[in-house]
Amino acid sequence: MTSNLNIIIAGGGRVGFRTAEILADRGHDVTIIERDERTVSNIADEWTATVIEGDATDPDIIEQAGIERADAIAALTGVSGLNLAVCLAAAELAPGIRTVARIDSAVGDAYTRFVDAVLSPERAGARLAANEILGSDVQTLADVTGTLDIMLVRVAEGAPAAGKQLTDVRFPAGTLIVSDDDGQRIARSDTTLSPGRRYVVAVEPDVAEEVMNLMRG
Amino acid sequence: MSSSQTRSPEAELGLLDATMIGMGAMIGAGIFVLTGLASEIAGPAAIVVFALNGVVTAFTGLSYAELAASIPKSGGGYAFVREIFDDLSSFMMGWMLWFAYMIAGALYALGFAPNFLELLHVYGLVPPPAQVGAIAVPVVDVAVPIAFLLAFVAVLGLVALNAVSTAASGSAETIFTIVKVCILVVFVGFGFASPMFSGAEFQPLFPDGNGAAAVLPAMGLTFIAFEGYDLITTVTEEVENPRENIPKAIFLSLAATVVVYLSVVTVAVGTLGAAGLADAGEAGIATAATSFMPTGLPIIQNGGALIVFGAVFSTLTALNAVVIASSRVAFSMGREGQLLPSFGQIHHRYGTPFVAILASAVVMLGSVALPTQSAGNMSSLFFLLSFVIVNIAVIRLRRERPNMNRPYTIPFYPAPPLIGIALNLILTAVLVEYLLRTDPLALGLSAGWIGLGGVAYVGLDRLRTPSANDTATVDTEEDTNNQ
Repeated sequence: MTSNLNIIIAGGGRVGFRTAEILADRGHDVTIIERDERTVSNIADEWTATVIEGDATDPDIIEQAGIERADAIAALTGVSGLNLAVCLAAAELAPGIRTVARIDSAVGDAYTRFVDAVLSPERAGARLAANEILGSDVQTLADVTGTLDIMLVRVAEGAPAAGKQLTDVRFPAGTLIVSDDDGQRIARSDTTLSPGRRYVVAVEPDVAEEVMNLMRG
Repeated sequence: MSSSQTRSPEAELGLLDATMIGMGAMIGAGIFVLTGLASEIAGPAAIVVFALNGVVTAFTGLSYAELAASIPKSGGGYAFVREIFDDLSSFMMGWMLWFAYMIAGALYALGFAPNFLELLHVYGLVPPPAQVGAIAVPVVDVAVPIAFLLAFVAVLGLVALNAVSTAASGSAETIFTIVKVCILVVFVGFGFASPMFSGAEFQPLFPDGNGAAAVLPAMGLTFIAFEGYDLITTVTEEVENPRENIPKAIFLSLAATVVVYLSVVTVAVGTLGAAGLADAGEAGIATAATSFMPTGLPIIQNGGALIVFGAVFSTLTALNAVVIASSRVAFSMGREGQLLPSFGQIHHRYGTPFVAILASAVVMLGSVALPTQSAGNMSSLFFLLSFVIVNIAVIRLRRERPNMNRPYTIPFYPAPPLIGIALNLILTAVLVEYLLRTDPLALGLSAGWIGLGGVAYVGLDRLRTPSANDTATVDTEEDTNNQ
């Protein structure tokens, strides 16, 4: 009922782990499936996600990751065919789950017949993967230098800040609402956060979850 | 592995801070409020009671350590169980834990009142609170409204504070805990040195009539005193290197707490005697301190005042901690869709889980009308039950997810969780049996809360089903946000 999702990520390497970090910062529950023992140990040190050690194409391992309760699965290992297999297996095990596969090379688009979204590592880093997993209501606009996120966020109906003027909402320090409704002008204190409209928001990672709670419920 | 960005919130609590958070919750109000009540039931064997409770809790502590190290969620017992169990079981876990914390809040408020009166008495502002032990007993007595009012105001004040501003950080908690421990060390030091203690009489260890069996109901009553390490697992995200430090913090805080409890209870029983302690009820430690601490000191006048101040300070900080803890459980349940979504939302103006805090406050304020002992019993009962579930969760997780990465594993598995389940169930049975005989009201209210939980669960389920199927995709999930 809330907007925090259960997400499985297959492959805890650079892309997988960074994606997990961004998702966890926004308050989502992430489980990583990783085969390499040393990588598993490194992820555990960071304490960002639950880790299942094993081969992500093994149905037993996918089930241990809690597939039946997951909202989305992202296969982000460096091997395209493996990622596709993981998504197909997941869709078989849990029909209706959102599947995202990391596919190398230019043939990527053809794979959307099998998975809900495809990303290619040349241009799409971890931020883009997070966008695809979450769908269109929250979107990162730019990969700015450092850790700052600039996002396009749609205000959800019934969220705590919905229908409120900016001056009435206490956003945590480290947040900036940049645009007015749908980017027509810069936000002012009397800007109203209308449900259904999208706003450009700049946010520091450690308050992202709180901002999401206020704007998305 | 990313190097530019760290996880959030920033990991800034060290092993010491994490240990102190656990100790702060355990060496909070329990030691001041429950010692007298335990002596009333078990006599000098109150010492044995606290020692055994420490042992029982340690088994569940192992389970908490394994879960906290492998499931990176800051939510305590509820978050772990939610990871493993289906909707109904995890709902009941959250529902019970929520209640346990709220009732603990009432207990600490009720413990605050007589200690506050004792503090006023030490400074000669009120007459000797000879009726202190009777204050919480719901008979027609002038003292009852005063204590009730004090408890009510204390809850109201702290709830208001937490509702409109975010809580103090973990490092403030460290200072609070050190203050509390220092005060108790002073108490123990003077106690052992006092002439009253040299003539201490611990015989007969067990009270007449019930004998050694009296230890069990007293364990049930005081079990709540050791529940505090659940609180360590609610701040895990802020602890550096949590997979090593969280298990360590759980064991260290538990061990240190047991040592402190045993010294304090030994001194209290040794100086005031079990009977005197029982008469003082919730103000047992404070009264013992007043009896042997030096008088005529500058500024604080009376050494006892220091301990009484410690009791007032401890009950208030413990009350504050459980206001936060209870609202956090309700908040997590709201986030998970197990309570109304508004529970899981941050207030747009105050930046706090406003609805969760208010809902917790209603139950806490209502429970202040309970006798202290009933509040202690009910809270213990629900902690015992939720600890059983936590132990089951460890076993189930091992069976269903054998490949899950576990940075800390329980030694001699599966013996410790099984022993934990057995011991917690035995204490639950003893407590229920004891309540049947002595306090049917508390038992009825507990059953009522579980019944209410069943109604709430079915009601929320009805509310959900028309708009979404159980296997919601991302898209339908977003649609249901609109209700």
